[in-house]
Amino acid sequence: MKLKVCGMKYHDNIKQVAALRPDYLGFIFFEDTPRHFDTKIPEISEDINKVGVFVNEDVNKIIEKVNEFKLDSIQLHGEESPYYCSILKSASRFHKAIEVIKVFSIKDKFNFEVLEAYEDVCDYFLFDTKGKLPGGNGYRFNWSVLNEYPSTKPFFLSGGIGLDHVEDIKLFKKNIASKYCCAIDVNSKFETEPGLKNVSILREFINKLNNKKTMNYNVDEKGYYGEFGGAFIPEMLYPNVEELRQNYLKIMAEPDFQKEFDQLLKDYVGRPSPLYYAKRLSDKYNTKIYLKREDLNHTGAHKINNTIGQILMAKRLGKTRIIAETGAGQHGVATATVCALMGLECIVYMGEIDIARQAPNVARMKMLGAKVVPALSGSRTLKDATNEAIRDWINNPVNTHYIIGSAIGPHPYPDMVTRFQAIISEEIKWQLKEQEGRENPDYVVACIGGGSNAAGTYYHYLHEPDVGIIAVEAAGLGVDSGESAATSVLGKEGIIHGCKTLLMQTNDGQITEPYSISAGLDYPGVGPMHAHLSKTGRAEFMSITDSDAMEAGLELSKLEGIIPAIETSHALAIFGQREFKKDDVVVVSLSGRGDKDLENYIEYFKI
Amino acid sequence: MNRINQKLQEDKKLLSIYFTAGYPNIDDTVSIIQDLEKNGVDMIEIGLPFSDPLADGPTIQDSSTAALKNGMTTEVLFDQLKDIRQSVSIPLIIMGYFNPMFQYGVEAFCKRCQELGIDGLIIPDLPVDVYHKQYQSVFEKYGLINVFLITPQTSDERIRYIDSISNGFIYMVSSASTTGAKSGFGDEQTEYFQRIAKMDLKNPQVIGFGISNNETFSQATAYAKGAIIGSAFVKHVTNYGTDSIDKFVNSIIN
Ligand SMILES: Cc1ncc(COP(=O)(O)O)c(C=O)c1O
Repeated sequence: MKLKVCGMKYHDNIKQVAALRPDYLGFIFFEDTPRHFDTKIPEISEDINKVGVFVNEDVNKIIEKVNEFKLDSIQLHGEESPYYCSILKSASRFHKAIEVIKVFSIKDKFNFEVLEAYEDVCDYFLFDTKGKLPGGNGYRFNWSVLNEYPSTKPFFLSGGIGLDHVEDIKLFKKNIASKYCCAIDVNSKFETEPGLKNVSILREFINKLNNKKTMNYNVDEKGYYGEFGGAFIPEMLYPNVEELRQNYLKIMAEPDFQKEFDQLLKDYVGRPSPLYYAKRLSDKYNTKIYLKREDLNHTGAHKINNTIGQILMAKRLGKTRIIAETGAGQHGVATATVCALMGLECIVYMGEIDIARQAPNVARMKMLGAKVVPALSGSRTLKDATNEAIRDWINNPVNTHYIIGSAIGPHPYPDMVTRFQAIISEEIKWQLKEQEGRENPDYVVACIGGGSNAAGTYYHYLHEPDVGIIAVEAAGLGVDSGESAATSVLGKEGIIHGCKTLLMQTNDGQITEPYSISAGLDYPGVGPMHAHLSKTGRAEFMSITDSDAMEAGLELSKLEGIIPAIETSHALAIFGQREFKKDDVVVVSLSGRGDKDLENYIEYFKI
Repeated sequence: MNRINQKLQEDKKLLSIYFTAGYPNIDDTVSIIQDLEKNGVDMIEIGLPFSDPLADGPTIQDSSTAALKNGMTTEVLFDQLKDIRQSVSIPLIIMGYFNPMFQYGVEAFCKRCQELGIDGLIIPDLPVDVYHKQYQSVFEKYGLINVFLITPQTSDERIRYIDSISNGFIYMVSSASTTGAKSGFGDEQTEYFQRIAKMDLKNPQVIGFGISNNETFSQATAYAKGAIIGSAFVKHVTNYGTDSIDKFVNSIIN
């Protein structure tokens, strides 16, 4: 069953609720209610159907509002006649074909015969509680009335539904009365004041309705996370990807592989990385903040966990030539490093723009013996570097292994990368136990480019419902600015680099060019695991602008003596945007150090 | 019978040409198709441009970028093709990446293709198994033939599987590469062509990638039913415009 959240009013609140990915958001244009909507609708995912709610309104006024706010549906809450509905249904002046939802109010009885005249002139019925007000009365009607529902038209169930009714809804779902119920409509029971929705209660409701505890957030045997993932690859890549798919779990389980992996992580990378209680930062934000110090790894970021794993994999598969893509250059450096370590040829594709803004890492790769090839097409950033690496692989199918640097790409890559990065949350568990006496924090937080440090940070907590997951995307100059990389908000389902996921694209399915000050987050998609976490509401997605990220980077430097990578600064910026309780334990993945970004910080702050 | 199947029954080696729709100019689509038919081309692949064409080399990447800049979209292409069957009778295939079709709606896309008289689709990044499970019935409902690729690395077992699902021809990629004309075929290709010819597949094979002139066309069609030229034609159009399509086609088949 779908979910509609009605009575949206406030800009930021709309964005937060939209991030939970309800199927419908309702905006009430009826003026005589405290939930009357009178501002602008922020940029929200196109997957969310925007419903305008009207009461006995003039048809021209409805058309005007539908076109002004680009609404997808209209909900008629007054005494609108079938004829009136038919006029709206056939009106040609709408910006697109719209759906009409006609509301009927029920108390203990309902004469279903009135529906018949509406059958052909609307798309859905909505049943609400009869009360003093046209909607929003705040209590339920007797749902068993619907046992007599004579129609096959899908309907919405509405009226005073709250968190306490989850069990009732589940029972209702088993009842024949729900056969044509397509959606649950909620409003007043999730508010702190009229029009202001309580996001955490709403999330809890969604999680409970979807049985979040039993949901699987890992990849399934077919390579999918819910509806996301898979391997959408040209036939030329099939033998390579298939070889990997058949072998990766087997190889990873070999004792000899595990021994070598663990040994290198310990002696070469320097693991375990510390879990550091950031006292001054915690004091400032009045909560308990721990930093997982991936920045202290050899080469300065989490990326090396994955490249160590993949180079050992490549060797066991008999590959002699390694290719990689890189955005910030961290993955390129981590790949060049392990290739030097193993004596393998290394070619790194990097967007021309990124080569310019991450010069120190380009120099490092060259010193390590890698060949850095500029990607000159498209936006000349991470997406295009990935295209070039894939083309290289097509041209070199036998001797080459492609080390993808994030939790993206065709199955099994997202899962393989996640498993190599899972060492991050494996360590957090015992480290937190030592320091706090418990394995589970209240929140885990990470920035998301493709989502590898995030996947590793969340992995062992995915199925722990008491641990909140916060995913931080780059808003660039602002989510609504057209210069952004906030995929969970701006993206739609589609196919990029071999997997089905959320991605930023035009209506025509052309992939659009993202923007972020941070090269590592400047990617138009997210890994399929994160698309699933977003869609199911398991993770809370936030987007942080360039400027808020830069300030947070400077703040950490001044308060804790740690200069973070700009990617990481995005994760740190959430403390200025969102409140935590005083005794909440919040673990942030400090994914990388800021050495590579010094030029950018210097220029930005005129240091 | 589908025009592709009919064409495959003709007793001759087939020349198929790929071009990028909307390139060099947005309105060239129809006249290029007409010119190709007039000059004796047997089959046409109309390239629906994509922002991130993973299986293509620089020539088709560039023509795709230019076509998108020119304003080509799925809807524009469909609009341009609305009367194509009044003047053109050879098989027409749309070749494009999956995402634009997915956004259009796979069923809506197929339906529109049928209305316009399109005979088949080539979608390099729609894997056989996903097609088989999710989309085959939709394609068949609208009478479309889906064409799959095989490469020198494709195992015999998988080739047999692909053959069992195909109902037109099999697109044999000549070597492990992205699109873009190479200079000539070596022993390795000849061996591969022979190996596939010997498999005695149910579907005829048409060879593509690396065919650029009369010599490579003859080499390929010595073993297969036909050959597809893409990048070399796009390059020709880039260098000489759309006025000398006859010269290009004549240089291949005469
Ligand atoms: C320090 C750092 N953090 C985060 C990222 C983003 O990548 P991912 O989302 O895969 O962790 C990068 C990518 O380059 C990075 O260098």
